[in-house]
Amino acid sequence: MTSQPVAAYPARDQYAKPLLVALLSGCGVALALGLYAKLHHPTKYALDVAGFSSPLYAKAWLTTAAVVFAIVQLITGARLTRQAAAPAWMATVHRWSGRIAILLTVPVIIHCIYALGFGTYSARVIAHSVLGCIFYGAFVTKMLCLVRRDAMPKWVLPVMGGVVFVSLVALWATSALWLFATKGVHS
Amino acid sequence: MTRLGPLITLGSVLALAVVFLLANTQAGKPGSAAASVTTAPTTTAPTTTAPTTTSAPLHALYAGRSSGNQVTVAIAINGHKVAADLNAGQASEVSLQGSVNGSNFTLTSHSGPAMTGSISGQDMFGTVTGFLGQSFPFSAAQAVVEAVYTGRSSGNQVTLAVATDGDKAAAYVCNGKTIEAWLQGSVNGNQVSLTGTKGANLTGSLSGLDMFGTVTASAGLSFPFSAELSPRPAGVFQARIAVNGLATRIGWAVLPDGTQLGVAVAGTTKYPAPPLDLSNDSFTLGGASFTAAAVAGNETVVSP
Repeated sequence: MTSQPVAAYPARDQYAKPLLVALLSGCGVALALGLYAKLHHPTKYALDVAGFSSPLYAKAWLTTAAVVFAIVQLITGARLTRQAAAPAWMATVHRWSGRIAILLTVPVIIHCIYALGFGTYSARVIAHSVLGCIFYGAFVTKMLCLVRRDAMPKWVLPVMGGVVFVSLVALWATSALWLFATKGVHS
Repeated sequence: MTRLGPLITLGSVLALAVVFLLANTQAGKPGSAAASVTTAPTTTAPTTTAPTTTSAPLHALYAGRSSGNQVTVAIAINGHKVAADLNAGQASEVSLQGSVNGSNFTLTSHSGPAMTGSISGQDMFGTVTGFLGQSFPFSAAQAVVEAVYTGRSSGNQVTLAVATDGDKAAAYVCNGKTIEAWLQGSVNGNQVSLTGTKGANLTGSLSGLDMFGTVTASAGLSFPFSAELSPRPAGVFQARIAVNGLATRIGWAVLPDGTQLGVAVAGTTKYPAPPLDLSNDSFTLGGASFTAAAVAGNETVVSP
């Protein structure tokens, strides 16, 4: 017999469909964000966040705070993945630090795509625009993977979490870090 | 097993995004007090905002700078035509020409730099591309600046300088010897209209950074002219002094390159004005030193 035993595949069949749905959803979100940001005419107007010298600095500090929570995510996520017997509070910390981090980025992304749009006038801006789309696409993918995490292979969550973390840090580096480096660190 | 937690997280992110988007949609409407400009503060020059217009302005000047403060921009809109000046310090100045379509405008130049943007009420936003090898986002505010237009008649018979301040204008036209006239008037849209004594008048229209029209120094002495928006030291200068006991009024029309023509009038006598030192607006006449003053568009130069 040349064919493999059918019994070898059930494990993949179990997660292939939800994983595909999650990945395609993430791609769809990334594409939709990019298209909206590019096609929507930037207003240049947006809500001001009180207490900062400019909307740019408000965004930079919100993103910086999100990155701090993301680092908590990285540490707790790594322990949850590696150690089967991680303390129960660690999962709670992981969940809530993630929720806070993503919610902190919402005002920023709305300002980015609503007021500024998909910029292409320098390498930094192109990278930032693309990374922003990737970040939210990866976030949606990870959330959808979590919905069916029992059916997913062990590598899926660390990989998706890694993509989310790396893209957020890169987003921060191409915006907040750039702002702090060129205009100084202040509020 | 299906977990709801991640879906709730996704939902709350979406909900917050919708709230912010709606809030921004409200705040973004022109005239809203909550709205703020995202880019760097505009114009440094003291400017007054123009009266609110309901439609896109027929003629308007905008002044502003790039968000990184590398480039200053001056933009003049006249109907469907638009002209702009980019300046990034010494020896890097570029003029652009273009058109307005609705609230959007596009400008190009011979040397490469281009500009696109849109007008939103009293503000405009856009991007300069290919200037000094870079692109700059910029914002500018409608500025009824104390603009100065200077130029000559087509046959070079007279030189003139027109100062505007909002909708008011004051001008001086002369040939440096015997012909001279002070003019007072207004700017209405892109139409300029000034009058003086003894039949003197000036009518013109603003087109981009230029002013074209006809100036009459005195009855029978009419000349077509062209003038352009001019930076310092261009201007209208005036001095009222007493020379040998004679009340004397001197006027100068100064061009941006420092070229100046002026006439001194004492009673019925007219003679060429002494050269004006543009570094401190001083001049000497009859051995004495005097100071002239730059005339703003809203000053009274023709006695009612």
